[in-house]
Amino acid sequence: MAHEEAVGRESVPFEFRVETGKVREFARAVHATNTLHHEEEAALAAGYGGVVAPPTFSVSSQQWVPSGTEDGLGIELDLSRVLAGGAEWEYSRPITAGERLQVTTRIADVQHKTGRLGGMRVVVRETHFVDEHGETPLIARSTVIELDHAPAAGAGHDHG
Amino acid sequence: MTTVERQVRRVGNETHSRSFGKVSRTDFVRYAGAGGDFNPMHHDDDFARAAGYPTVFGHGLLTAGLLSSFVADWLGLLHLRRLKVRYVDQVWPGSELVATGRVREFLEVAGEARLVADLTVADRAGSEERIVLRGEVEALRKVGVDGG
Repeated sequence: MAHEEAVGRESVPFEFRVETGKVREFARAVHATNTLHHEEEAALAAGYGGVVAPPTFSVSSQQWVPSGTEDGLGIELDLSRVLAGGAEWEYSRPITAGERLQVTTRIADVQHKTGRLGGMRVVVRETHFVDEHGETPLIARSTVIELDHAPAAGAGHDHG
Repeated sequence: MTTVERQVRRVGNETHSRSFGKVSRTDFVRYAGAGGDFNPMHHDDDFARAAGYPTVFGHGLLTAGLLSSFVADWLGLLHLRRLKVRYVDQVWPGSELVATGRVREFLEVAGEARLVADLTVADRAGSEERIVLRGEVEALRKVGVDGG
């Protein structure tokens, strides 16, 4: 079941508050050492409203999806068969701490393909981040692969 | 048109890279907390083995995040316009990651002088280098970057 019918489904928007501590924590986890991520004074002196988010910080918004509002947009994935396929970010300006962004995710594509690891379902989600002025500083896309069979099953391995 | 010739000649000649050293389970867990991705595949060895993997492996987005830190330092944090990554292999505990970029072309978009660079992240822990991620970035051209 490829769930092609899910294409175009859109989540209920939710608010993503960009917080200084979370930006610093994320920057540390991805070894982003630029002082603009870590020091508020440096960011303010450079003309920003707060510390500047690293380029892939937007992914952390997904932990604030209100429970029950998205639920994978009708696509249930078995984590033991899931692999991350890829991601893409389009920027028109940096995001900074203190912002409140409205986040909406839609299913952009669902396909069933056959590759090196056998049959797989490929799901592309597109997330728009809209600021208080109605502008969209960031669009993010992520591709998730759900293998038809986990690697162990393919090898005939009995893991109960 | 000397300038143009110089630019064309220099595109793709120069590679830039950053080594992130060995990554550990602690790095995976720190990223899980920071990014909010608690898929047990990245911290629970029992779960990973039951799914057929030898151990846990790193989040693709951790590798992408490390790459983006290198790219931002190289091309300018505020100059990035588009970043695209494709995960091609797993990052295991003990992988030694090196991010590399090479400018592919210069172009003009929406009145902005931009560049496009090809990106890779490789694991150099084994006897042979193993590519774990391929990507590309589009950014404003910063004076001094590959003849810009």
